[in-house]
Amino acid sequence: MLFNSYSFIFLFLPVVLLGYFALGRASNLAPVIWLALASLVFYSVSNWQFVSLLLASVAFNYLIGLLLITQHLRALPRRAVLAAGVTCDLLLLGTFKYAGFLAANLDAMFSTGLAVNILLPVGISFYTFTQIAFLVDAYRGKVAHYGWPHYALFVGYFPHLIAGPILHHKDMIPQFEAACSKRPNPHLMLCGLIIFGFGLFKKTALADGIQPLVSLAFGPVTPSFDHAWIGALAYTFQLYFDFSGYCDMAIGISLMFGIFLPLNFNSPYKARNIIDFWRRWHITLSQFLRDYLYIPLGGNRHGRSLRYLNLMITMVLGGLWHGAAWTFVIWGALHGIYLCINHVWVSHGPAIAPRFKRLADTAAFILTFVAVVVAWVLFRADSMASALLVLSKMADPTQIAAGRAEMIDAGLIMVCAAIAWFAPNTQQIMGYDHANRTVGEGLAAWPRRAAFLYASAAVLAFGILGIRQHSEFIYFRF
Amino acid sequence: MGGSARNLGRLLGASGLIIAVAAALNFMVDPLQFFRPAHFFAAMYSQDSRLQDAGLIHSQDFDTLFMGTSLAIHFRQSDIDRILGVKSLKLALNGSNSREQVFVLAAALERHPGRVLWEVDDWIFHDAPDVDSNSYIPADLYRRNARGVAGYLLSGRMARESLWIMARTIPPLEPVVARLTNDVMFKFPVSRVDDINVLQPDFDLAATYNANKAIAAFRYITDPVRSRYLADDTDYDMKVRVFERDAIGLIAGHPEVTFDIYLPPYSILQWVAMRDASPGTLQRVYDFSGYFCRRLAAYPNVRLHDFREVSEVTHDLNNYADVIHHSPDVDLKVLSWLAEGSYLVDRAAPSASLDRLKAQVEAYRIDPIER
Repeated sequence: MLFNSYSFIFLFLPVVLLGYFALGRASNLAPVIWLALASLVFYSVSNWQFVSLLLASVAFNYLIGLLLITQHLRALPRRAVLAAGVTCDLLLLGTFKYAGFLAANLDAMFSTGLAVNILLPVGISFYTFTQIAFLVDAYRGKVAHYGWPHYALFVGYFPHLIAGPILHHKDMIPQFEAACSKRPNPHLMLCGLIIFGFGLFKKTALADGIQPLVSLAFGPVTPSFDHAWIGALAYTFQLYFDFSGYCDMAIGISLMFGIFLPLNFNSPYKARNIIDFWRRWHITLSQFLRDYLYIPLGGNRHGRSLRYLNLMITMVLGGLWHGAAWTFVIWGALHGIYLCINHVWVSHGPAIAPRFKRLADTAAFILTFVAVVVAWVLFRADSMASALLVLSKMADPTQIAAGRAEMIDAGLIMVCAAIAWFAPNTQQIMGYDHANRTVGEGLAAWPRRAAFLYASAAVLAFGILGIRQHSEFIYFRF
Repeated sequence: MGGSARNLGRLLGASGLIIAVAAALNFMVDPLQFFRPAHFFAAMYSQDSRLQDAGLIHSQDFDTLFMGTSLAIHFRQSDIDRILGVKSLKLALNGSNSREQVFVLAAALERHPGRVLWEVDDWIFHDAPDVDSNSYIPADLYRRNARGVAGYLLSGRMARESLWIMARTIPPLEPVVARLTNDVMFKFPVSRVDDINVLQPDFDLAATYNANKAIAAFRYITDPVRSRYLADDTDYDMKVRVFERDAIGLIAGHPEVTFDIYLPPYSILQWVAMRDASPGTLQRVYDFSGYFCRRLAAYPNVRLHDFREVSEVTHDLNNYADVIHHSPDVDLKVLSWLAEGSYLVDRAAPSASLDRLKAQVEAYRIDPIER
C-alpha cells in the first residue's frame, strides 16, 4: 500500500488510528498488537507473497536475540549465535537481492548460462538492517528484554517498513511500551497531519511533477548537452523530494500515533562538503553504516591509510546495499573517493582567509552539489554505458536543443532548486525535535499561525490532488 | 499550539473544501468529456491519446473504430469518414502494444460499433505489462469504476486544465489563453476532434519524409553496434502466445464486429535491414507473419489487407521519415486501398502476399550510396 493513495489516506489510516486509540483505553498491549497486525495488512496489500518471509525473519531474529539476552552464554557460543544470526540475515538478503547479480556476473565471466530471476521483497533491505543492528546490540549487552509484540511492531511498524528510516530498537521500543502514546493527542495529530501534508506535497507535486524530465537524459534518445543536464538535475531533485517526502509522511503518520521517528534528511543539498552531505542525506543509513560497519572495521583508529580504506569499503558496501548493479557499486565508490578527498582537504588544505570565506563557501557549495549530481547519474542509469553516455553529454556543449520546452523545464528545475536550497526544511518549520520528543512548540506563539494553518491545509489538499495512479517511491526498490 | 483539536478540525475542513472545489470544477468543466459531451464550455482535446481516448469513447458518436500505432496516429477522422463512408473514431496510440490496443478497443466496443479498422504492426505483440501496471494508461478511467472516477475528479492536474478551459471562455482572456495553450504547460490544446494528433498544414512534409532520412535510419539500425536490437521482441512462441491472447481473444469475442486488419506498408528498407543485418530475425518475422495470416483467415469477421507488398509505395523512399513511418499521402492511399479492398488477402491462400513480399525482399539490391 502506498502512502500516496486514496485507500491509505481515506480508509486505512483513519481506521488504524481509531482502532489504536480505542484499544488504548482498554490496555497498553492491545494497541501494540493492533498496530503490528495493521502493519502486516499494510505490507500484505501489495506484497502478500512475502508476508511469510517477513514473519519468519522477525521470529528468527527475535529468538536469536532472546538467546543472546536471556541465556548467559560463554564468549565463544555467544559469538557463534551472533554469527549464525547475522549470517542468516545476510544470506536471506543476499539470496533475494544479489543472487541474480552474482549469476549474471558469473555468466559474463565464464559463460555459465546461469540466470537467476528472483523477485525482490519490498523493504527487505530495511528490515534486515534493522534486525542486524538489534542482534549486534544484543550481543554487546545493550538490549533489554523486549516483549515479542513490541519487537514485531518495531520491525514491521508500517510507517517505516517499506523504505525506512532505519529504526533503532532503543529509540522505538520504549515508545511502543509507553502508555502516553496510546492516548490521542490533538497537538501531535495536528503536527503529524501537517508534516504528512508537506511530505505528500513533496512527493506528488514536486517529485512526480519533475519526474517526466528525467527521461530527457535517461530515456531512449541520446541526450543533447542541455537535455543531459536537465535530466540529471531533474533526477537529483526528484530523488530528494521523493525520499524526503516519504520520510516526512512516515514521521507525520507516526506522530499521529504519538511515536517520534528519527529524522532521515536535513536539507542535504545545502551541504558545503561531502562529509556534511552524508550527515544530511539518509541520516539513519549513514548512522547504521558508521556504527555497524565503519567503526567495527576500525574506523579512524588505525592510521590514515586504513581510515581511507575503511571509508571506501563502507561506501562501496553502502552503494551495493542500494541495489545489485555495478552502477550502485561505482556510485558508492565515487562517494568513497569524494569523502577521502574531503578528509585529505580538511587535514592538509590551506586555511581560508576570513575575507574569502563567503566566496570559498559558495564555491564549496557549488562543487559539492555538482559532485553529488554527477554521482546521481551513476545511481540512476540502467547501465555503466548509459551513465557514461549521459556524463559525456553533460560535458559536451556542442549539441544544445534550447527550445521553448527546455526553457520551461529549466524553470521547473529552478523552482525545485530554490525550495531545496533556500526554503527551511520540514523539521525547521515544525520545530520537530526527535531527541526531546517535541514538535510544534513554537507555533502557538507565532503571530501568523492561522495563515500557517490554512497554508498547511492547502499544501495537504494539493498533495492529495496530485496523487497519480502509478507512483511508487523510488526507495521501494532498494 | 493552543486549541489543537479545533485547529485540527480547521485544517481538515479547509483541506476538504479545497479538494471539493477542485472536484466540482473538474465535474463541471469535464475536460475529457467523461460525464457528458461539452455543453457549458468549448470542447478541448489532448494529444495524449491514452488519456484522451477514455473520454472520446463516451463523448463521440461513431460506428467504426480506428486503432493502430504511430503509423496510424496522423490519420484524420474526416478522411476516414469521407473515403470509407463511415463515422469513425480514431483511437490510435503512439508506441502501443497489443495489450493496450485491445484494452482500449474492448472499452470502445461496449458502445457497439460495427467495424474496426486496425493497423497492426509486427512488434505490438510482445510481453507487455498488464494495463494496471502500465503508468501511461488510466485503466480505471476506461473501466469507469469508483477509483477511476475519483482519480479524475480529484486530480489537481485536471483541475488546472479545467480552470484553463474555463478561462478560455472569457472573451478578453481567450487570445492570451489560446496562445499559452501549447501542450507544454497545458495539455488540452486541440479544439477540433479531427485535429487530434494530425500534422498541421504548416508542417514541413518534405523535410520530414524523404529518402535521405529513410536511408539514414537504415544505416542507423543496421550499424553493427545496434543491429542486435532488430531481434528484440521477435521470439516466435512469445508472439504467437500474445497474439492469441490479445488479437484473437478480441476478435473471437466480438463475432458481430467486422475487423478490417491491415499490415502497413513499411519501406522495403525495413525488411532489407533484417535480411542483411539479422537474417534469423527476418525468418522469425516471416514465420510469425505466416501464422498471423493463416489464423486471421479462419475468422469470417476478419478482412485482412496486406499493404507490405505495394512496391510503388514501399520502394519509393521519399514516402518515409525512417524505415517504417510513411507520409500523410500514404495515409490517404491506405484508406483508398481499404475502401477498394485492393490488397485483400485471399482466405484460400493467406500466405500468398507474404510470399510476394519475400520475393521482393530477396530481389532488392541496395544502391551503394544507400550503404
